Amino acid sequence: MLKGHLDMIVLAALAPGPAHGYAVIEELKRRSAGAFDLPEGTIYPVLHRLEQAGLLAGRWVTADSGRRRRIYELTRRGEHALAERRAVWEQFSDAIGSLFRGSRTGKRPA
Amino acid sequence: MISQYLGRLAHELDFDPSLSCQVVQEVEDHLRETVERDPAADRLEAERRAVAKFGDPRVIAAQFAVVSLAALARRVAFVAVLLIGAVFIAMKARVAWYGVMQWPLAEETRVLGEIVLTIDRWAFWLALLTGALGWIYIGIRRAPTALTREYRAKLRRFSLLCSAAAAALIVCVAADGLLTLLRLIGAQWSVALVVPLFSVAIEIMCAGVLVSYLRAMAGRTTRTACLAPAAS
Repeated sequence: MLKGHLDMIVLAALAPGPAHGYAVIEELKRRSAGAFDLPEGTIYPVLHRLEQAGLLAGRWVTADSGRRRRIYELTRRGEHALAERRAVWEQFSDAIGSLFRGSRTGKRPA
Repeated sequence: MISQYLGRLAHELDFDPSLSCQVVQEVEDHLRETVERDPAADRLEAERRAVAKFGDPRVIAAQFAVVSLAALARRVAFVAVLLIGAVFIAMKARVAWYGVMQWPLAEETRVLGEIVLTIDRWAFWLALLTGALGWIYIGIRRAPTALTREYRAKLRRFSLLCSAAAAALIVCVAADGLLTLLRLIGAQWSVALVVPLFSVAIEIMCAGVLVSYLRAMAGRTTRTACLAPAAS
């Protein structure tokens, strides 16, 4: 299930601001309270794919450690895409929530 | 241990050297940072953990292969349209040069010339149409996460369109070569001949470049298909 929503998850992790791959993974773990503990290597192809689609922009910087580091940030298109996916997700989540609440009260459809 | 891992990753990504170089640098930064933040005193153990958490290089390479193949397909589509445009400019420049030089077709070759010209025109418009269709077809599709059956079918259709464009372009260039030959038969060697000959050479080069791009894409598709099972 998580695999199908990786794009949205990565876009959401980058919503607060630019970050490198490691920081994206840490942000995902932190915000999901450890639920999104993915194999770390799977995030990088997603970042590249989103960059290719124009939803992210990447640039190289030199980190304090002296290593070259690639930083990603949402583009305007990426922000729009995230807003759209968030709206769809919230609608879906509300619908499923209502369904579950209905089943908990034990009401049967007429 | 990190160096070994990066070596394996670079080897798996050797289908795209520039991507390999970029990914290896990114992954190295990631792994070194993971080790630096690992509280374990044993550095080798921290490196082993970092590499294990990152995942199998072949699986990661397979995911990158799909991203790279999608980028290559878009590039092929763009290059195809660009090359068809370059052939058009070369053709128009040559025809304009014939006008300036007042270089008409000889009477005895006029009928053959007109037949070849008709073939040339149809071939060119077919190349442009199929090339543009291929560009639109692949351009409106986002890169998938894996080399799914559906995406393979899309790539096959795209390859067919591009192959049709390349074949039509080759026919067009061959017809241009023949037309140039018909016009230059019996002409005395002069510097003025350089323009039509050079323009035909450009057209041949354009067709050659397009064929080489298509071959590269076919090779990459095969390579990605070999790697793809690792990702599933």
